[in-house]
Amino acid sequence: MPPKNKSVTLVIGSGGIKCAAAIGLWKVLQENDIHVNSVVGCSGGSLYGALIANHADVKEMEERSYQLWTNDLMQGYITNLKASQDGSLKFNERSGLVDDSVLNKTLQGVFGDWTFDGLKTPLKIAATDMLTGDKVILSEGLVFDAVRASSAIPIIFPPWEVNGRLLIDGAASNPLPIDIAIQDGADIIIAMGFPLSYRSRFRSMTAVQEQLNNIYMNNILNATYAFYNLAHHAEIFTILPEFEGAISMFDVDKVPHVIERGEQATRELVPHIRRLLEQG
Amino acid sequence: MTPSPVSDKSGQTMTTNRIALVIGSGSVKCAAALGLMKVLEHENIAVNMVVGCSGGALYAAAIALGWPVERAVEATLRMWTNDITAKKNRRALLQLVLPGLFKFDETFGLIDDGLINRRLREGYQGTTFSDAKIPLYITATDLYNGDQVVLSEGDIANAIRASISIPYIFPPHKLNERYMVDGYQSDPLPIGVAIREGADLIIAMGFESPYQERITSLMRYNLQVSSVTSNNLLKTNFAFHNLAHHAEIIPILPEFKHRIKLFDTDKLPYVIEEGERAAEAQLPYIKKLLNG
Amino acid sequence: MNIQDIQKNGVTVVQFSGSIDALTAPAITEHLGGLISSGQIRLVVDLGGVDFTSSAGLRLLLGAVKDARAGGGDLRLAAVQPDVMKVLKISGFTNILKLFENVDDAVASFG
Repeated sequence: MPPKNKSVTLVIGSGGIKCAAAIGLWKVLQENDIHVNSVVGCSGGSLYGALIANHADVKEMEERSYQLWTNDLMQGYITNLKASQDGSLKFNERSGLVDDSVLNKTLQGVFGDWTFDGLKTPLKIAATDMLTGDKVILSEGLVFDAVRASSAIPIIFPPWEVNGRLLIDGAASNPLPIDIAIQDGADIIIAMGFPLSYRSRFRSMTAVQEQLNNIYMNNILNATYAFYNLAHHAEIFTILPEFEGAISMFDVDKVPHVIERGEQATRELVPHIRRLLEQG
Repeated sequence: MTPSPVSDKSGQTMTTNRIALVIGSGSVKCAAALGLMKVLEHENIAVNMVVGCSGGALYAAAIALGWPVERAVEATLRMWTNDITAKKNRRALLQLVLPGLFKFDETFGLIDDGLINRRLREGYQGTTFSDAKIPLYITATDLYNGDQVVLSEGDIANAIRASISIPYIFPPHKLNERYMVDGYQSDPLPIGVAIREGADLIIAMGFESPYQERITSLMRYNLQVSSVTSNNLLKTNFAFHNLAHHAEIIPILPEFKHRIKLFDTDKLPYVIEEGERAAEAQLPYIKKLLNG
Repeated sequence: MNIQDIQKNGVTVVQFSGSIDALTAPAITEHLGGLISSGQIRLVVDLGGVDFTSSAGLRLLLGAVKDARAGGGDLRLAAVQPDVMKVLKISGFTNILKLFENVDDAVASFG
């Protein structure tokens, strides 16, 4: 009897511009004829996950990356930060320090009116309910809405309302949403994650905030991975690409390096993935 | 350390189970652990190790040192008053406005920690981990690499100070050449320490971080996000530890009808009572496991 | 995958080499299971020669740790290589297992 085809789910975790490493991953999988049955993404990873689910061309994904991560995304940040400190900016649950019009326009430019139904490969996106802290899975409606919600970095970008719920960054509850792949019954999970990098010097309050936030996020990443690693019946291959030096949010000139590292890290795993697929 | 049968200190029931008590972070709410201790003492159930994180470290130390409940309450009332956060750190305020000129660095904290340090030193009277009657472990987080740090040697007050370095409020604490921040940043309920140290039955008292009722300022927004992440960390770690442990983990999650704030020490009797109630509810199960 | 046992001061040191994954898991599980059921519950696994572990590999290793602990013993790791260490860290294993630089330290830790 021929072996049953094993289903493969790709999970791309949160990591801002570092998620462009998924381009390298996608390239290597295509070269090796490793068929992907579904895609899961979180935050920056949702963006690349959506492109992969629509079978975007590797070159096109790279081009998109240059358009996406431009520093006008942070429009209004400095002024609003000051205003929030002197009290002239009133903050509520719908606020963010950045005027999100650039982000919205950029994402709309990429995803337009794509719907989950219209994608070539099924896609699910992780977000977090801002008021209850619950994990939220988005898998219908406009891809734009889901990516926007999943990328709403707390405090920086305003939350995004979907179906009456106020949503923020998936990273706050589930930075590497392997659980969604497990729920869908994947046999093999290929999960690309990006631990946040740490600082070694603290020259401002923002630096301290970022460090403390990164500590939280990395510990959640480890804990989620740790749990699902034990909970899953089959095999999870994790890819944690390593980069030279710190990669900050708008380092578009480092995109080629990021892609290359993603590619390289995936290549190392291919023999292991292949053996498992062939074993049946 | 080789796992070995428990020594019989006080004519209590012998058991081959190594029992660990883990007290998670939760500021004043952690005093509920004293209620739990009352219940265990009443039932002659001896604990073989105590693990504490953040607010939980204060009570883990008290329990490990063998303090009676009354003494622990008294010590809390003496140590934990709101004047410990009254004295602003002048340099920190200048650092906020002019970080370059006033050399903003990792020692930043809005509050001068002189008083809390003195209170802890007085409260724990120079005791060390080797004075503890039950092995004690206190967790903190390394500011530079985010790792959980398990403290089990040296001065107890020092370890507690590291474990309760509430971000932004107290400066990180320098210990063994590392800067430590609050233990809850890496794991709000450090059950893993008890697993690694060879515990069988683990009694874990944990507290979820409260959510804001209304978000009306950046500060509240920050607190909300911090609760969201911290509760997700708590739940995920708990899920992992449940699968990773070879024996039982009994969670005790006291519920409070009223909001307990950072310095609500007047609510201590109520907090302890709720801890007792939550422990009573799990007692039949604990006893069954021990006699099993 | 090669597996070899050495006895040192009442501790069984198990040496693996190669990768620990879904394919090699059954052999490793059987080997460790055999040791534990024969009462050898003070175990050190020498990972000096292991360059890759997958989720299935980690699950089986933990299975053996739990069995050893349930019997009053422990399974401790020695000489973990950098790539494997990365996986152990993100898997939370470094917080629940005892790890040692080398086999001798691990053996000595059993006292």
